[in-house]
Amino acid sequence: MIAAALLAPTVAALVLAVAPRAFAGRRAAELGAIASLVALVELARIPVGRPGTLWAEIDQPWIDLIGARFHVGVDEVSWPLALLTAFLTLCCCIWLWRRDSSPALVALLMVIAAASIGVFVAQDLLLFFIFFEFALIPMWFVIARWGADDARPAATKFLLYTVTGSAIMLVGFVLVAIRAGSLQIGQVVEHGDPSLTGAILIAVGLAVKVPLVPVHTWLPDAHSKAPTVGSVLLAGIFLKLGTYGLIRLNVQMLPEATERIAPWLAGLGVLGILWAGLACLAQDDLKRLVAYSSIGHMGFVALAIATMSQTGIVAAVFGSVAHGLITGLLFFLAGSLKERYGTASLAALGRGLFGRAPWRAVALLVAGLATIGLPGLAGFWGEFLTLRAAYEPASLLPQTFSVVLMVIATLGIILATAYVARFARMLLQGVPTRLDLDRDIVRREGLVTVALLVPILVLGLFPGLIFDLFPPIGYAP
Amino acid sequence: MKLLKGRRWPYVALTALVSGAVAWWAIPHVGTRTRVVGDYQGNDIGPVLPTLTLDALVSSASAQVMLLAAAVAFFVQLYSTKYMGDDPRFRSYALLIVLFLLAMVAVVAADNLFVLLIGWEVMGVCSYLLIGHHWERDDAQSGAAKALLVTRAADIGLLLAILILGQTYGTYSISEILVASGLEHPRNATLIGLLLIVAVVGKSAQVPLQTWLPDAMPGPTPITALIHAATMVAAGVFLLARLLPVYATSQVAMTTLAVVAAVTMLSAALFALVQTDLKRALAWSTVSQLAIMFAAVAVADGRVAVDHLMSHGAYKALLFLGCGVVMHAVGSSALSAMGGLRRATPVAFWTMTVGFLALAGIPPTVGFFTKDEVLEAVRGTPALFGVVLLTSIVTAAYSTRLWALTFLGEAKEKHQTPWVMWLPLALLALASFALSIGKPLHLGIGALSTVAAVVGIGLGWLLRARTFESRAGRVLAGEFGYDRVFTRFIPAIAGWKARTVVWADDNLIDSYPRGSVHAATGSSWLVDRLQSAKAQLYATGIAVGVLALVTYALVRVVVS
Amino acid sequence: MPLLFPLLLSAALFGVGLYGVLARRNAVLALIGVELMLNAVNLQLVTYDAWYGDTTHTGQVLTLYVIALAAAEIGLGLAIILALFRARGTVDVDDVERVS
Repeated sequence: MIAAALLAPTVAALVLAVAPRAFAGRRAAELGAIASLVALVELARIPVGRPGTLWAEIDQPWIDLIGARFHVGVDEVSWPLALLTAFLTLCCCIWLWRRDSSPALVALLMVIAAASIGVFVAQDLLLFFIFFEFALIPMWFVIARWGADDARPAATKFLLYTVTGSAIMLVGFVLVAIRAGSLQIGQVVEHGDPSLTGAILIAVGLAVKVPLVPVHTWLPDAHSKAPTVGSVLLAGIFLKLGTYGLIRLNVQMLPEATERIAPWLAGLGVLGILWAGLACLAQDDLKRLVAYSSIGHMGFVALAIATMSQTGIVAAVFGSVAHGLITGLLFFLAGSLKERYGTASLAALGRGLFGRAPWRAVALLVAGLATIGLPGLAGFWGEFLTLRAAYEPASLLPQTFSVVLMVIATLGIILATAYVARFARMLLQGVPTRLDLDRDIVRREGLVTVALLVPILVLGLFPGLIFDLFPPIGYAP
Repeated sequence: MKLLKGRRWPYVALTALVSGAVAWWAIPHVGTRTRVVGDYQGNDIGPVLPTLTLDALVSSASAQVMLLAAAVAFFVQLYSTKYMGDDPRFRSYALLIVLFLLAMVAVVAADNLFVLLIGWEVMGVCSYLLIGHHWERDDAQSGAAKALLVTRAADIGLLLAILILGQTYGTYSISEILVASGLEHPRNATLIGLLLIVAVVGKSAQVPLQTWLPDAMPGPTPITALIHAATMVAAGVFLLARLLPVYATSQVAMTTLAVVAAVTMLSAALFALVQTDLKRALAWSTVSQLAIMFAAVAVADGRVAVDHLMSHGAYKALLFLGCGVVMHAVGSSALSAMGGLRRATPVAFWTMTVGFLALAGIPPTVGFFTKDEVLEAVRGTPALFGVVLLTSIVTAAYSTRLWALTFLGEAKEKHQTPWVMWLPLALLALASFALSIGKPLHLGIGALSTVAAVVGIGLGWLLRARTFESRAGRVLAGEFGYDRVFTRFIPAIAGWKARTVVWADDNLIDSYPRGSVHAATGSSWLVDRLQSAKAQLYATGIAVGVLALVTYALVRVVVS
Repeated sequence: MPLLFPLLLSAALFGVGLYGVLARRNAVLALIGVELMLNAVNLQLVTYDAWYGDTTHTGQVLTLYVIALAAAEIGLGLAIILALFRARGTVDVDDVERVS
């Protein structure tokens, strides 16, 4: 099942690479949609197993010389994220269902999707790293080739940051693997100080991806210059590679060492919440604004991870999935504005979108409300559980410190409300400035919007869909 | 969709259906004494992961508030078919009213704290959208944004209160929490109480977060009636009354609440006295009346608070809807545009007279009886008693002034009021009397409060023609300049910080990628220099290297 | 005769040769420097041969080998320099740095 989920997008990518002429425009998007649908169904078919064990495990010898194995499997942490990846890729393919779509773009999306699913299912450090890199390089092409006219510097900045991060992470892997004598994530045993160095290196490498302040500036540039589907995949999937890595490789693989860096992780996460919230207040470009809001949400996830409690892990996974859906939706909507008007600048887009394109405006408003963590929508649970995890952390995080961080994090919720109210006022409300290009949401856009709104609402009302994958918390003795 | 286009009645029917269902559900619970039962087991580890359950916990108070909300929502919808009849966006308006009602029911009837929170926040969003219904207008935009921001900031208090309740009692069910807090001495009472107070101070517009409510006046008047009478602001009172056992043992929390209530009720009443705009004056009156309810909560009498909530709901809905009729007639809510409307809008005149009498607390209106109850409840706290009494004098004064300025004076021409607009008024006026039935009467306090009301009326009559040009009057009319905190200081600070952060991103943090570029170009320049293509230079390098290696080896040999 | 004298002479020869190779700009002189270095090595080879009293005389054999090599090398080197001089009109190594 996992193999099929990995193969389907790969095959689609190969077919598109070999025969691009046979799949021009809509045909390419259709092929991509079918492949990601196959991946989604195959992943969804995986029977839910006991928490903490690997479901649908495949373990084959690969490179015996260094002990690397083709070892994949999912558990309660990775399964929702892998599903999210397949689902967002499907949405992207629907979005690209139009005449001028390039087969090469769809092929790159397929590579990114397969590699990202690979990261989430890999149980071998080398396999993890290879998939991690495979997801990264195609993104440079997506941003540089299909992004805005001035996207090249942003793409390069993205590459510089993330490749540096990966290199640091690789050194960490080597350190850990040498000490542990195994590349299997499940078999790594901690060895004091070398593990600490390894954990720090891995965490630094992943922090670039999350991203934590102060290694975050690649994100607003890359997101705002990337094409719509690029932004969606960046926000929806790429950032999750970082948070997932922190959970899997730091909290679960190297818990003792991670405890010692947890205060830093938590502090930087909360700094990111405030930093991003404030930066959002001063943005004119809608895509940049959404990008910065991502940093804030990832700050919550980082805080949740840093508590290292079970609640924290649940919060991190839920927050990651919810952020993928909500920010994905926001990037789709902001991207469609940019595709239509050629700019995402609030000043240039004019005011009164409620009057000019009502459904588009309502979709933006609902997505904005979801992003401020309105209860009843998916964004709420991750934030609430993060606060709860911070209230009683399991790591070495001192409780006082953690509670202070919790209170500061709530300021981030207020800032989020402020920036959503601000963009609603600047863009949605006001006397409509009619532009020639005004047009309400078209069918494929509407389809994607609804497809994303449904899980946002369903997860908001039935959080148990994800909670129940985890072992129960807090039962009376 | 085509069928519904331009039609108003389907929405009234929908609201009638929802309101009817809510009423059907609520009526059997009115007057019952619900004993909260829950199978609470001690849980020391902490709560399980949250779930949303549809368990209901309907007490008599919930049932009353549900009935009030259902009735007012229906009246507002009916009234709006004419008042907002020509509005191009009637559909979203009408559906938001229904959503508002459902959210209020969720707050009032839910046993699950998260369902309560959903209702609480959805109400905030609904009020944001409805206040901003005329989103072309600048004042509507700012009023709506302010309402959203202030109430949501305060909602953090409720969020954290729920968090701490869960950690303290190991459950997110209100009934289980109430059972648990009854079994043992409530824990964390002060913290929970203060957090809840933060939440309701925002939602119910108490000091220090009071200014959003008067600024929400650009919203359509029927919505104002809905928000002020039966839903949004009432939710705060209800919440504190419902969770009273959890924090009532905390002296700190109760004192804080009393102080907030006392400061708010008097200052808001004084602001109402000097307003030049009928709607804004009524808004301040709501703030003041809510504070009176909180005074009852502060002496741990939740039932009295809910009673006053009900009576206030009836007459304040009446006053706002009447205000809408008056505004329809003169096209403005400014008091200067009014006067002499006694014959022009007779229905509004008679019903609003009842409403103002109830607000002033004249028997036998319901306002008198419930204020009587509040006074009786706070009798044990002389300071609070004094402030409530003083407030009722000011209340009677501003009621009289508003009434006189609106209706007396040179007669204006007659204005037709359609039946969908006067029927709700008439029914609410009836309710302002009917709700008094069966209310207890405390003779001494009743006499005292009647005297206070009469004094106030006299004062109001004297003040009716006054414009507040004096220094003190201007300070009052400027509402102590307090709003500047929200309109100027906080935005300025936030804007400054936001610009700092963006500057730091561009100039400090972006120095790494820029630095790495410089490092790369610099080192490549260096390497380029070395690649001189001069064989002799390379050879020199080789020779020096060999020499260095040999020297090193020799030194090693000699040293060892 | 102590071992030191021929070794010192060899070192001096090698140093002079190295200087010639590295510092002289005239290609012919650089080539002479190379010859000097080769002969410094030759001197060492014979010295050690004598000092060890090696019965197979490997040192002397190698010296002959190096002399043959040096003769070939100088022939080839001078031929290149001559060709260079004909092509460019100079034998200054700095001026001919771009060989292509």
